[in-house]
Amino acid sequence: MRVLIVEDDALLGDAVRLVLGNAGFAADLVGTAEAARAALQAEPFDLAIVDIGLPRENGLRLVQGLRGRGRTIPVLMLTARDGLSDRVTALDLGADDYMTKPFETPELVARCRALIRRAHAVASSRVTFGDLEVDIAHKKAAIEGRDLDLTQREWAILECLVLNAGRLVSKDKLLASISDWSEELTANAVEQYVSRLRAKLGTAAQIRAIRGMGYRFDEHTV
Amino acid sequence: MSTRSDAEPISRPTARDGGSAAIAERILRPSIRRRLFVTLFLPAAAVLIAGTVSDYLLALPPYTDAFDQQLLDAALVLAAHVEKDPAGRLSLSLPVDALGMLRAGAQDSLYFRVSREDGTLIAGDADLPNPSESGSGVDAEYRGADIRLISHDDHVGRERISVAIAETTHQRDALRARILLTAVATDVVVLGLILALIWLSVHMSLHPLAKIEHQVAARSPDDLTPISIGSVPAEIRSMIAALNRLFSFVYENAASQRRFLENAAHQLRTPLAGIQAQLELLSADENDAARRGRIGRILDAARRLGRTAQELLTLARADASVNPGLKPERVDLVSVVESAVTDNLAAAESSGVDLGAQLEPASVQGIDWLLGEAAKALVVNAIAYTPAGGSVTVRCGERDGAPYVEVSDTGIGIPPAERGRVVERFVRASNSRGTGSGLGLAIVKDVATLHRANLILEAGPNGIGTTARIAFPRRAA
Repeated sequence: MRVLIVEDDALLGDAVRLVLGNAGFAADLVGTAEAARAALQAEPFDLAIVDIGLPRENGLRLVQGLRGRGRTIPVLMLTARDGLSDRVTALDLGADDYMTKPFETPELVARCRALIRRAHAVASSRVTFGDLEVDIAHKKAAIEGRDLDLTQREWAILECLVLNAGRLVSKDKLLASISDWSEELTANAVEQYVSRLRAKLGTAAQIRAIRGMGYRFDEHTV
Repeated sequence: MSTRSDAEPISRPTARDGGSAAIAERILRPSIRRRLFVTLFLPAAAVLIAGTVSDYLLALPPYTDAFDQQLLDAALVLAAHVEKDPAGRLSLSLPVDALGMLRAGAQDSLYFRVSREDGTLIAGDADLPNPSESGSGVDAEYRGADIRLISHDDHVGRERISVAIAETTHQRDALRARILLTAVATDVVVLGLILALIWLSVHMSLHPLAKIEHQVAARSPDDLTPISIGSVPAEIRSMIAALNRLFSFVYENAASQRRFLENAAHQLRTPLAGIQAQLELLSADENDAARRGRIGRILDAARRLGRTAQELLTLARADASVNPGLKPERVDLVSVVESAVTDNLAAAESSGVDLGAQLEPASVQGIDWLLGEAAKALVVNAIAYTPAGGSVTVRCGERDGAPYVEVSDTGIGIPPAERGRVVERFVRASNSRGTGSGLGLAIVKDVATLHRANLILEAGPNGIGTTARIAFPRRAA
């Protein structure tokens, strides 16, 4: 997994490079938007971590330019600015995720993994979490090679959670994924399907309920 | 940077609350309107009154002369009717009743005396006074009434006679009163018209001023847009221009302060992020437990430093004086709360606290990131003061049309007596542990104030823990 870090602060850039290196990524560090464009032209990267506050040309412009040229590489933006509107701007311009400095490094690693996994899921339609393998195209999931027997709705929920692994998925969103025209479903139905899914997944993966908000699919890291 | 008390509205005395003192103060206050009114009206009134008085005085003599002439005519008639009988005695041949005919329509009593030159009475009232000069009327008193008296000298044959004739002055007085009344009534009407015209023209002339005054008074204190100079009268144009310069100066100041704070946030956060990440790496690489412990303590300090710096900057930027003219936007409270919760899930998990939410749709007009910081501060606080196994619940919604965000915890609670004080900067509850800076609730309080909301601290559900609520004002329908 190759990651390009675009950060002009040497101390932070170096730390991020080392952290990602320790986590098993091959990370390269550049300090400007121009250098980032050159690197992305020359080499295939799986992910770009882009600081908004770059000298001369800022990170938002860089990402906008990349998307404008049709580049689909996942982008995680780092910023020293606060503000939900900055977050919205970044996501609107084509960034996939957003973190505010200072941050905890494990959180950064987790988000990088999630972004790369999601991009791969879109490209190859297969996602792997430890022993759990999910094949999006064929709507199949397997633990240690054994296929899981999932109903259509259980599958819909698993797909939705897996594609947003590590992030909060609202109950409404899950409800929308299992609803069809034939039946009115309630939020209770979501809970039922999630608990059946949990039973079938066993210890291979963890679906965390966040009270009052929804669910989060956590990679089993331990 | 100003203190918080600056943000509080300055109470202005109204006409109602001072009683007579306030009214007196209002009258003594200089007023262009009153000055114009007085300086225009008083001379106009004086000129008008003087005109009326002179008109009255000039109108009287012709009337008096006309009346006197009538009286004199009657005297002539009387004199013409004095006859000498064969015995040489003089007598009046006119029947007394006929005298009434001399003055048509007379409401007044008529008196006369015809006498010889030596004063012996021929006819009439002997006690009628004798005017000194013949032919011109004089005012006198007779039988308790005002009279007008006139005399006429004549002769019958060779004998000289004197005729004195007088009438009471009722008709003259009535006429004089009518003239005066007409003059005064006309005066009053004209004066009233002038008053109305002056009032109208003063009002119309001052209308542009009143408009500007209203415009300035209706501005909110943080509205720093310039006053449009297009319709401003020339007389106060330079004053308004000076005001506009002041507005733009204050706005520029606030904007540069805001830019400075944004830069400061940026300049502080990036190196802190670097230090934190490097220390985390060092700590992970270190095999020596004692050294790892030391690195861990530095890391904690770096985290605390980062948090405090962030809190101080937020506090500075939440100050109303830094944000004039900042247009509030519609902020969805659900997404504010969602980020506050998701950003703190990891922290809650490591503290063993169950963090959850109950979200009802609600939105307010405000500044999104400040509301986000406030919600985050409440959640961070709640987690910090809740022991493992407890829970923190974030709610948002509307109660009776008033939006709110609240955070309830099952923690140690804030002693009721201290609830007012813990919202002050750097003040922490006496029973608090941990490493908070004491700025969290101050931030929440300032953000709430900036949004015209109240921060309410109370005991949590069933008297356990604390509920902190930001209660926004009811939405305008």
